[in-house]
Amino acid sequence: MVKINAKHVNPFVEAAMRVVTQITGIEVRRGHLSYKDKAEPSYGVSIIIGIYGYLTGQIVYSLDSNLAQRLVDKLLDGKSPQEKQIMFLDTLGEVANMITGNATSLLNQRKDQILNITTPAIAAGTNLSVHLVPKPALVLGLITQYGPIEISIAVEEKETLQETDSDEGLLSEA
Amino acid sequence: MGKRVLVVDDANFMRMIVKDTLMPNGFEIVGEATNGNEAVSKYNELKPDLVTMDITMKVKDGLEAAREILAADPNARIVMVTALGQEKMLLDAIALGVRDFVVKPFTKERIISAVEKALQ
Repeated sequence: MVKINAKHVNPFVEAAMRVVTQITGIEVRRGHLSYKDKAEPSYGVSIIIGIYGYLTGQIVYSLDSNLAQRLVDKLLDGKSPQEKQIMFLDTLGEVANMITGNATSLLNQRKDQILNITTPAIAAGTNLSVHLVPKPALVLGLITQYGPIEISIAVEEKETLQETDSDEGLLSEA
Repeated sequence: MGKRVLVVDDANFMRMIVKDTLMPNGFEIVGEATNGNEAVSKYNELKPDLVTMDITMKVKDGLEAAREILAADPNARIVMVTALGQEKMLLDAIALGVRDFVVKPFTKERIISAVEKALQ
């Protein structure tokens, strides 16, 4: 039985706003909260990170391509266009990793346990198929001047520590 | 000559940030590794003065790599540089013998200070 709890959302809001603003200077505002049967991304760039520990599931970050480019431009300021292109997905994956890592620190009130995360699976473009764990998700909208970010949170609480398969929620080219 | 540093992180972007921060401050980057296995192997090969180590990596994570490096060389100086900042993780890493724990995103001052302190 999947149990989504709204208390799992705030740490992601707080972490996303703090991390994005700190590393890029781009201001992030809170948007709408909604619900989806599945954490399917809505925009051109998608990053999936798994969580395991007393919570298990996945977080799907989806952002507008224009915003993704702006983030990379700011983070790789001074690098050549070619370097930016090569490091585009890697850089966005690291941003998602920082947000998720910071959120787990805010989420984890249990001092005797560790909440782990998987390495990010990242993809950009229109010709993609996204394979997600079929879990319902709380979807949080964030707004920036360059475009939206959507964070879909599909996690459930476990009574005992249990690892999920880190290959859950993969992105692949169609 | 500057102290020799091995930078371990699966993200090219983060390795670049660490290198771009440390190199202008007199440190020599002698190698890079993208997972825990590479980190252990490059540590044995290069014998750096210090390692900056990510935690979440495929193949072998940074805590396991740190454990292996410290088991073979208890004097190894390792600074964890990670997005995961949970209290238990920090305490476990310090108990292993890790010198410091820097949470991403970090300021330049924070990582330089952690590295310099670890090398004292």
